[in-house]
Amino acid sequence: MRISRRSLLKGAAAAGAAGAVTALAGKAEASEHESKHRPDAVGMLYDSTLCVGCRACVTKCKEANQLPVDQSAMQGTEKAVYDAPSDLNGQTKNIIKVFKDGERFAFMKQQCMHCVEPSCVSVCMMGALHKEGEGTRSFEGENKGTGIVVYDKYTCVGCRYCQIACSFNVPKFEWFDPLPRIVKCELCKHRADKNKTGPLAVANPACCEVCPREAVIYGKREELLAIAKKRIAADPKRYNAKVYGEKEGGGTQVLYLAPASVSFQELGLPELPEHSAASFSEHVSHTPYLHGVTPIALYATAAFLIHRNKKKEEEAEHHEEGK
Amino acid sequence: MSAHAHPKAIGGKLLDPTMKILLGLFGIAAVVMVYRFFTGIGPVSNMTDGYAWGIWEPINVVVFTGIGAGAYSVGLLCYLLNKGKYHPYVRPAVLVGAIAYSLGGSSIVIALGRYWNAYWLPAVPIWNLNSVLLEVAVCVISYVLVLWVEVLPAVLDGAASSKSPGWSRFGAKWGQRLSKAMPFVIALAVVLPTMHQSSLGGLMLIATTKVDPLWHTWALPLLALISCLSMGYGTVVVLTNILGMTWKAKYDQALFADMSKVNGGLLFLFSAIRLGDIVVQGKLHYLGRLDHHLFFFVLEMALFLVPAFMFFSPKVQQNRGRLFAAALMAIAAGALWRVDAYLTCYNAGEGWEYFPSMGETIVTIGMAAIGIAVFIFVSRLFPVVVVDDAHRHSNVGADQVRSAASR
Ligand code: SF4
Ligand code: SF4
Repeated sequence: MRISRRSLLKGAAAAGAAGAVTALAGKAEASEHESKHRPDAVGMLYDSTLCVGCRACVTKCKEANQLPVDQSAMQGTEKAVYDAPSDLNGQTKNIIKVFKDGERFAFMKQQCMHCVEPSCVSVCMMGALHKEGEGTRSFEGENKGTGIVVYDKYTCVGCRYCQIACSFNVPKFEWFDPLPRIVKCELCKHRADKNKTGPLAVANPACCEVCPREAVIYGKREELLAIAKKRIAADPKRYNAKVYGEKEGGGTQVLYLAPASVSFQELGLPELPEHSAASFSEHVSHTPYLHGVTPIALYATAAFLIHRNKKKEEEAEHHEEGK
Repeated sequence: MSAHAHPKAIGGKLLDPTMKILLGLFGIAAVVMVYRFFTGIGPVSNMTDGYAWGIWEPINVVVFTGIGAGAYSVGLLCYLLNKGKYHPYVRPAVLVGAIAYSLGGSSIVIALGRYWNAYWLPAVPIWNLNSVLLEVAVCVISYVLVLWVEVLPAVLDGAASSKSPGWSRFGAKWGQRLSKAMPFVIALAVVLPTMHQSSLGGLMLIATTKVDPLWHTWALPLLALISCLSMGYGTVVVLTNILGMTWKAKYDQALFADMSKVNGGLLFLFSAIRLGDIVVQGKLHYLGRLDHHLFFFVLEMALFLVPAFMFFSPKVQQNRGRLFAAALMAIAAGALWRVDAYLTCYNAGEGWEYFPSMGETIVTIGMAAIGIAVFIFVSRLFPVVVVDDAHRHSNVGADQVRSAASR
């Protein structure tokens, strides 16, 4: 009886360790197989030189996503009759800002960048934030390969690690709601039209639809990148020579063009290396596990040593008592 | 006689004034926590989208579990390296660990926005195995269970020496059975903290643009692991001193001096890796900024290096007060480094500011208070602490119940 219970415990402990190890081995693999290549990835191109700051996209975004108005920018003034958010927040997924320095000024549109290798997806425990159709859970009705970073409120625990992780400070939290959610742009995936073909079949960002100047356009990332480069080549005096998002932080699916005289950092975009933060963090955290060998080896060694030490000690005690 | 001194239940009045104060503090915190569930996290905290974790994660989870790592540190010495002389200090350390980790775990639940979705956590197939936080969560939850199993022998010993024959038989029987299974549990208590303590450092790896370059390094997991060991050894010394003042707990200066040399080594190792990495990565110029980063960096280095040197000085090794002070500094060093990496030297970007609210602070204090209260409560009722009192000890051993019910 006692023996069986003992072996049961041993078995349970072993099973626990084995479970952890399989998990970890899978972990290492997942990171390696994560495909960077998504030819069908969609995104947006925002051209700061075309934007006139009319904020039609801000209003339309709220309407399309059924978000309440937010007057935080005008709070306490007579102007607090407009929907005037001061930043992205729990009620605002898209915002127009302006950079101004003497003569130089430029508009700036902010929303989720839909990173190629998103930090938020890397850190989210149960895949609440994930690339559409990818990740550990099969999400019904999702397309694979669009690369859109979508949110699933049913697996989000509200840990806010995504907020810590995102270099662009995009995910926002509903601080004053007892049942809060994470709020961020999902590229109006819900506005997709199944009857259309091409990018419009998978998403249809309201901001792009409404923009009177076509300062922000929607399409396949590859095509948008080509357009951006063409614009720079056609008028190099007008543009900053770089397309932000081509390589920054592993690349983003929302791309930016800035006026020649303004840097992307001045527009509020962080300076990032070419490798993603996600790949760095995953590499450093997975490596010591050696595909799960380390924890198993550690457990086995520890169990062996402890068992042996205990025996020795008991023998010593018996010996002493015998005297 | 066994070579071991035996732990004994302290006894005494349960609801003494200290206890009342501690429970009172927790009571206030409990009100805030309940309020939070009705109104959301915003109204009770100063957390923002920029400082989304406030002090609850950095202090309640990361620092508390660092203090709780005493169980891990002493366990390594005692069980893995077979230094049986540290045995008397295992039970108190394990109890502190069990309490600290439980509090860390419950703090997370308070802080989670969508806590009700946590029921998904056991669903292994949907785990995102790239998430460091998932590793921390799963590992910490398992470790909390392991720690309380480690506390069980004390409880069963207590039962074994109870006056009721039924309890006494129950305690004796299960105490023995448990003691047979213990090596396999303790082995888990070695593996799990190794994993999640390094992951607690690893959590910040992803925040490449936010954690200050002097703190952000690939070595974060390694540093966190070393610092938890050091905090753990510090905690054992500090704890035993405090218990010695109040309950005459057994205190062995020579033994602690020995153990503290290990701690000194760890503190030196930490500092060497930290400084070496800064030099190798070419980050020295960041020390040229005359702001709070420099202040905290210098303060940290002092807190790491001063006790490191102290632990190796004979003057300190022979003096109880000095050793206590050095141990306290070792804890503070690890705690400050953790808070800096997570909060004070974490920069969410322009325009974000944070200072903890009353509500957040009260919750943290209340959590600490209830932790101390539970420790006192358990030690009064069950044999956890080894008391320096040769005549009166109950003779109830860690692994053998010889004179059960003889008291
Ligand atoms: S911008 Fe932030 S929220 Fe959007 S995909 Fe990238 S990491 Fe995620
Ligand atoms: S808050 Fe939700 S979406 Fe963000 S990381 Fe946590 S579980 Fe994922």
